[in-house]
Amino acid sequence: MDTNELISHSRARFDHHQAKIVLREKYQAKLTFAYGGGMWRAGPELLTVLTVCPDESAVLLDLYETPVNVDIRELELAAQQRWQEQMNAWLVEHEELHKNR
Amino acid sequence: MKQGVLLFAFNNEQIDYLAMAAWSARNIRRHLDLPTCVVTDVADIPVTYQFDQVVTVDLQPTEQTRYFKDYKSVGTWHNKNRSNAYELSPWDHTLVLDVDFVVASDQLKRLFNIDQDFLAHRWAYDIAGHQAFQDNNWFGTYRMPMSWATIMCFRRSKKAELIFNTMQMIRDNWTHYRQLYQVSEHTFRNDYALSIAMNVVDGHTLSTPSIPWQLASVTPETKLTQVDPDTYKIEYESSDSKPKWLLLKQDFHAMGKRALGEIVANPC
Repeated sequence: MDTNELISHSRARFDHHQAKIVLREKYQAKLTFAYGGGMWRAGPELLTVLTVCPDESAVLLDLYETPVNVDIRELELAAQQRWQEQMNAWLVEHEELHKNR
Repeated sequence: MKQGVLLFAFNNEQIDYLAMAAWSARNIRRHLDLPTCVVTDVADIPVTYQFDQVVTVDLQPTEQTRYFKDYKSVGTWHNKNRSNAYELSPWDHTLVLDVDFVVASDQLKRLFNIDQDFLAHRWAYDIAGHQAFQDNNWFGTYRMPMSWATIMCFRRSKKAELIFNTMQMIRDNWTHYRQLYQVSEHTFRNDYALSIAMNVVDGHTLSTPSIPWQLASVTPETKLTQVDPDTYKIEYESSDSKPKWLLLKQDFHAMGKRALGEIVANPC
């Protein structure tokens, strides 16, 4: 048995701080979605813009700064669904982190 | 529009890239449900390797070598065919993946929904959080922004064709471009060629569209093992020199070929 390896293994700790950063990056990627020929990231910023839009349609800039004519309610629904689905998954993984030593 | 994944696999003295490609092809089928095509110089592909298409090419003679940190030795690096991806791809919409990119989710499917002719990663980060890795996001004395060739997604289009043609020009005149961009490394890297080519094609505006998330990377200094088919464990020393570990349930670029080779040889 390699005693040094055993000691090193027993001293190793789960990196909670880094795990949170990695999870954040992972879910930032998962929050992206395509709609109406544009690419969007579901999140408070997009949802707020969509909520305050009074009209049925509007021209919004997507992640590539491309203006896209969108159906506000359709995009809002798609963003809301993506947001909830991924935030729930994020929460589940986040809670799993606490179980690790 | 026909879509698929193109892999390049040229074995060297230490690394069985073809075995990695076969393992990757299985992950691609499982998560992305896309056909794979491998470009290789190996004439007899083992029957257990299930690629949808195989393109056999003659290996271009190269004196190019690279130091593989995890093997602690220098090996031949056959990386000059990557810029031929446009001609070699059998598809209209192609995802070119490094065989050391681990597909553990359906994340890459999103790339096919993006209305861009060519996409690659602008930013990569070290999953273990070492800040020094950030320097890899630029290269040369003038800190040219790096575009990573690990993942390239392109549609048959004038722009994609121009980018690949420019990459070939840079590859064939690497000494000149190396001096122009003041790159200290002698070794030709596709990342450099891609970065320069994308910027040239976009009129030197440094405003090239990129993949809208960062490239997660596991460096050769980090110990990598597989826990289950889509979960990996990394062990590393944190910046305050303490041993740490993490579990990964996501796609990532495994930069250490030795660890990945062991996973491929003994998969969960």
